[in-house]
Amino acid sequence: MLEIKNLQASVADKQIINNLDLKINPGEVHAIMGPNGAGKSTLSYALTGRDGYEISQGSATLDGEDLLEMEVEERATAGLFLAFQYPVEIPGVSNMEFLKASVDAQRAARSLEKYSSSEFLKVAKAACKQVNLPLSFLKRGVNEGFSGGEKKRNEIMQMILLQPKLAILDESDSGLDIDALKVVADGINSQRDGKRSFLVITHYQRLLDYIKPDFVHVLADGKIVKSGGPELALELEAHGYSWLESYDRNAEDESE
Amino acid sequence: MSSWLADTITQAQTIDDWLSPKRAQSLALLEATNWPNRKTEAWRYTPVNKIERATFKQTSTLQDIATHIPNLDAIDLVFVDGIFDAAASSKTFPAGLTINQLADGKDHDWALESFKNTKPDRHFFGLINDTLATQGCIIDVANDTAIEQPIRILQSFQQGSQSHTRILMRLGKRSSACVIEQLQGDSLSLNTSFAEYQIADQAKLEHYRLALQCSEAISIGGSHFSLGEKADLDSNLVGFGSQLSRVDIDIIHAGESAHSQLNVIYLLDGKELFDLHSAIEHTKPHGTSEQNVRCIVADHANAIFNGRIHIHRNAQKILAEMNNRNLLMSDDAQINTKPELEIYADDVRCAHGATIAEIDEKAMYYLQSRGISRSEAQVMLSFGFINELVDMMNNQAIAQWLRPILRQRFADMEIR
Repeated sequence: MLEIKNLQASVADKQIINNLDLKINPGEVHAIMGPNGAGKSTLSYALTGRDGYEISQGSATLDGEDLLEMEVEERATAGLFLAFQYPVEIPGVSNMEFLKASVDAQRAARSLEKYSSSEFLKVAKAACKQVNLPLSFLKRGVNEGFSGGEKKRNEIMQMILLQPKLAILDESDSGLDIDALKVVADGINSQRDGKRSFLVITHYQRLLDYIKPDFVHVLADGKIVKSGGPELALELEAHGYSWLESYDRNAEDESE
Repeated sequence: MSSWLADTITQAQTIDDWLSPKRAQSLALLEATNWPNRKTEAWRYTPVNKIERATFKQTSTLQDIATHIPNLDAIDLVFVDGIFDAAASSKTFPAGLTINQLADGKDHDWALESFKNTKPDRHFFGLINDTLATQGCIIDVANDTAIEQPIRILQSFQQGSQSHTRILMRLGKRSSACVIEQLQGDSLSLNTSFAEYQIADQAKLEHYRLALQCSEAISIGGSHFSLGEKADLDSNLVGFGSQLSRVDIDIIHAGESAHSQLNVIYLLDGKELFDLHSAIEHTKPHGTSEQNVRCIVADHANAIFNGRIHIHRNAQKILAEMNNRNLLMSDDAQINTKPELEIYADDVRCAHGATIAEIDEKAMYYLQSRGISRSEAQVMLSFGFINELVDMMNNQAIAQWLRPILRQRFADMEIR
């Protein structure tokens, strides 16, 4: 599914990702954990093609297609999805208009017919209910005035509607109370169908109680320094990141 | 002197009615004022010689927007070419609301006093309107009265017409009302349309000026407000621009702790011009004002915004904000924006900003990351930029009516 080889990425001429390798097979759930500044968000921005995130070396492919050659929207329609850590507010553009345009684009890329407005309304309402957001949120501006938890749920709703091949969840658990965390985790789990893959980025083991990963990787200093099964997350939780070999805390990441 | 102005003065001298004493004052001022040109600061970017050169020719058949606003149950006052259309207007009014024609003002003492009372004399065409406006209406809302039904003053203008109208409104203490000034017409016509509002203590006015004259129309006018203590004004201006469109808004905080909000959208295409001059006068302490002016300019169009905030001596604890954001859609489009702050009190918070915006790249990335193409995302974000102010409109019928009209106009801008 996703294959990253020897990836180097920099932001403002500062190298953040160093020779990173990662392979995710269809249906697998991988978790990436790591301290602040390890390069977790940079990795997700570099893969989705955010402006200013330069790839100096290496490759990243999705089902064999070269992601790095594609425009941002082409990566999305190729099946890559990012649930943002800090979703942007876009007043004046209604959530509904945004979701419809997104789903239209995805369906066009898959040679499926556009939903009619009434068909889409049904689908959107169902997804909205699934993540426990009031239907009025469909009418509001994109993320406008949403609380942190509501924004995270709106991201999961988009994932449910867009049906990606690979979803990157960038700290989808941060700032959530336990009830909201369950809603988010249930939303993610509902999309696990044995084919769709997930890359779950998190600081804490807590989310992984709800979303059982197949693999856990520790990212530090822009590369994966340790990989293992779910038990690795428990060890990290018990011992903290200092338990790992020393890493450079100065690297900047989580840039918003 | 311009020949148009000479004719105007001659014509004004023949008018004899209850407003004559006031008209005479303005006429004297006019005679002492030069015809505005590029050296006149208030008219620097807006050439008025078009009025002199106006040749009456058939215009291209731009779609004339229907004037009917669905789901708006309003008290209608209809004027065609500045002449009151009684048949098309509402005849009964709720208790506490009195509406008269301007010509019948002599029976209302307050009307004479309020004429020229809130509109400053510095507006050149305001003076012209003073001398020539014989049509219009006088709206009086008693104290402690909530008028639920919006009052709509609909003015449409046809080919070759010249008209001058004046609205005078008094909103009583603790009362509330909604007034919609709707101006439409795309053919060559000249109108000056000024409105003066006196909003008494603790009264609340919701106001819309839909300046939708476009194409060949020449439209000059203004809405001027005086706010009493704790009065509240929520004003919205939507402008389309035409060969010459000029609006002056003056909001005078005459009482303490008044609040005013002015949201403005303009959407210009072709060679259209829209010029907005706003002035917020904080004369008393503890007031708040907020202005959001947003405009999208395409093709060879020209947007002008001059926004002035004047905080008078001793008007302490004022919170005043002015925000002007502009989107340029073409290399030949023009924006001239000038914020002006004049502050004579030392304990105030005043913020202003004017930007010629590019698209917000963070929002762009977000939309693209969902598969939306850059060009489609650009349309969504640009429209969202003005739609945000439509979303803020309190009157849903107007917002719902405007959205597709603005969207269509925006789409037409895109094609070129």
